[in-house]
Amino acid sequence: MRKGYRSLPADNGLGRRDFFKAGGAVGAGLVLGGRTLSAFAGSPQSQAAPAPKTSVRPKTNIEDALKVPRTAHSLPGPFPGKVVEVNDPKAMPDGKPEAKVIAALFEKGLTRLTDASFKASFGLFFNAGDVVGIKVNPVGPGLISTRLELVDAVIAWLESGGLPRKNVVIWDRFDYMLKDAGFTPERFPGVGIEGLQTMDEAAQEGKTQDNSHWLAKDGTHVSAPNFDQGVFYWADVEGPKDLAYLNQHVFNGKYSYFGKLLTQRLTKIINIPVFKNTGNAISMATKNIGYGAVCNTNRLHGTLFLDVCVEVPAFPVIRDKMVLNITDALRAQYDGGPAENAKFAYLHNSIFFATDPFALDMVCHKLLVEKRKSMGVAVNENPRFTEYLRYAERLGLGAVSAPKLAHLKA
Amino acid sequence: MVPFCCLLVVFCIEHALGADIKLPGDGFAPGWKTGGAPRTFLKADLFNHIDGGAELFLEFGFENVIVQHYVRGKAELALEAYEMEGAEAALGVYLMKCGRETPLPGIPTRNSSEAAQFTILKGRYFILIDNPDGDKALVPAMTALAATLLEKIPAFSADARLFDLLPKEKRLAGSERLLRGPFGLQPYYTFGEGDILGLKGRIFAVLANYEEPQGQASTRIVVPYPSPAEALTVFRGLKANLDPYLKILDAGETAFSFVDFRERYGRVRLSGAKLDLAVNLPVRPTL
Repeated sequence: MRKGYRSLPADNGLGRRDFFKAGGAVGAGLVLGGRTLSAFAGSPQSQAAPAPKTSVRPKTNIEDALKVPRTAHSLPGPFPGKVVEVNDPKAMPDGKPEAKVIAALFEKGLTRLTDASFKASFGLFFNAGDVVGIKVNPVGPGLISTRLELVDAVIAWLESGGLPRKNVVIWDRFDYMLKDAGFTPERFPGVGIEGLQTMDEAAQEGKTQDNSHWLAKDGTHVSAPNFDQGVFYWADVEGPKDLAYLNQHVFNGKYSYFGKLLTQRLTKIINIPVFKNTGNAISMATKNIGYGAVCNTNRLHGTLFLDVCVEVPAFPVIRDKMVLNITDALRAQYDGGPAENAKFAYLHNSIFFATDPFALDMVCHKLLVEKRKSMGVAVNENPRFTEYLRYAERLGLGAVSAPKLAHLKA
Repeated sequence: MVPFCCLLVVFCIEHALGADIKLPGDGFAPGWKTGGAPRTFLKADLFNHIDGGAELFLEFGFENVIVQHYVRGKAELALEAYEMEGAEAALGVYLMKCGRETPLPGIPTRNSSEAAQFTILKGRYFILIDNPDGDKALVPAMTALAATLLEKIPAFSADARLFDLLPKEKRLAGSERLLRGPFGLQPYYTFGEGDILGLKGRIFAVLANYEEPQGQASTRIVVPYPSPAEALTVFRGLKANLDPYLKILDAGETAFSFVDFRERYGRVRLSGAKLDLAVNLPVRPTL
């Protein structure tokens, strides 16, 4: 079963339309509005205090995802808990990416992860008929976005394995962000470049009241057809009913639909996030895909914020296709995220590899905490900020605890 | 014809924005020009300017922000001037955003500056000057931009006695922070869900770190409530809804202690209209 996770009637009604702009952009990543599902479930100290009155977690359709049988490629993939880090101080001389060094780092990391040769590693994940989507992170273009040179190395590897260039699609949720970050047809000839949706920045910033660039005559978003209304993450949280939110999020009911690119065309996904924080948590592998694969997400930034990073990838459209995660930490950012902030960006010259995105995020979370401490940034080490990763482990999607979790430096 | 109500809105915005500051124009430094028109974001659309983090500004008391870009050839600077509801609110945001404070002597007000970004506080304004490429050659232009802007901003400071609520002994210099709600508290400690300290965006709490013999600092937070009754309500709510990762060890009518997930200790004490919280203590405290 690939489709048909719908458990409630679709609600596409736009309802009230006003100009009050309450829709957030990417989200602060603050876990404030009540406990998450992941938090405290199974916690040894869960009896320590009476349950807070605000501990209501909105229902979701995660059970629908868990019912679908796993495949050979399901998360956490062939290397649960294994995270490989490669580093070369010469990767970003003067802050500029050195393509040859980055390509060498990619080969080194991949072969260490797979314990296979560069060529043989292709066959662990792909065949020549696959259509491979490379999910990048274009937020903070140039400063903290996925390096083009790393994507070059990935594409070269895919081609060397026999995959036609036309079967590669670089994608993100927002088309204009891809362009801003340099992911253009001119830079990547022969490769697909696709945003799941568009957004009218001028309308969003209040520079114009003309909504015709994104709002269709029937009152729906022009990108609505790009999302598959048969494959969705449902959560009992309503999206705001204003135009600004709709412009940015395409739908505003209780459904977050997966992009048709993922549900209908891609057969495999490589996830290439960057190394940065979001508030007290991180915005890396699981957030890049969890908030990048579906629409109508800002409504999820409250109680469910980090759980979404588990529950969206738990759906087969991600779980069974996302075979490789590569965190680009060539330049990293230890504070001020998820938006770019040059003040807190630094050269890290590292790339991380894993098939298990939850293990990858656990390792990187710990490293980011240490970096934040070393830079004098306040760090709240309450386990709730990593509980979602243990939640993923309980769902069988990752291995984030000892002894399976292994951070290897190649 | 523009309706009267629209004119009134425009007038009100212009008036509000024009009260204290005048944005530097072309030529604040040789060769520099404005890059497009300034953009203004009010409370309701701050989310459209800040990708995450708007809540912190709103919690401290945000009024508006003006954003202006400046260019010289391919070089670009971005100025953001956040008008807060008062000097305390501006100080609160500044302390949250400045990172490890590294003042630049050329800027005649409190600041934390490096090539990538100047973070500046003056009166009720919190100001950012961004140099996205981090090009050190642009620092003189950034300094000139800051100086031109700051000339017009009235110099008044937050009440210097704010931090007198905190003990001075063993207080780590530069660790002082203000809190006005859960978004400000989150980076430091989790006592429970939501606004469990009942700051509601109107009460300023003070926080600082303290030297401990074992090397790791402890953290102290003092909250002055408007009345003993309000403080008592918060104290009782905190005790009843304490974060499940904190385990109460000893409890009395006006105080309790707890141990956290790292075997560090905490203590909460009610004294009249004041709540005094200490966390990250290396030794189990007495009530």
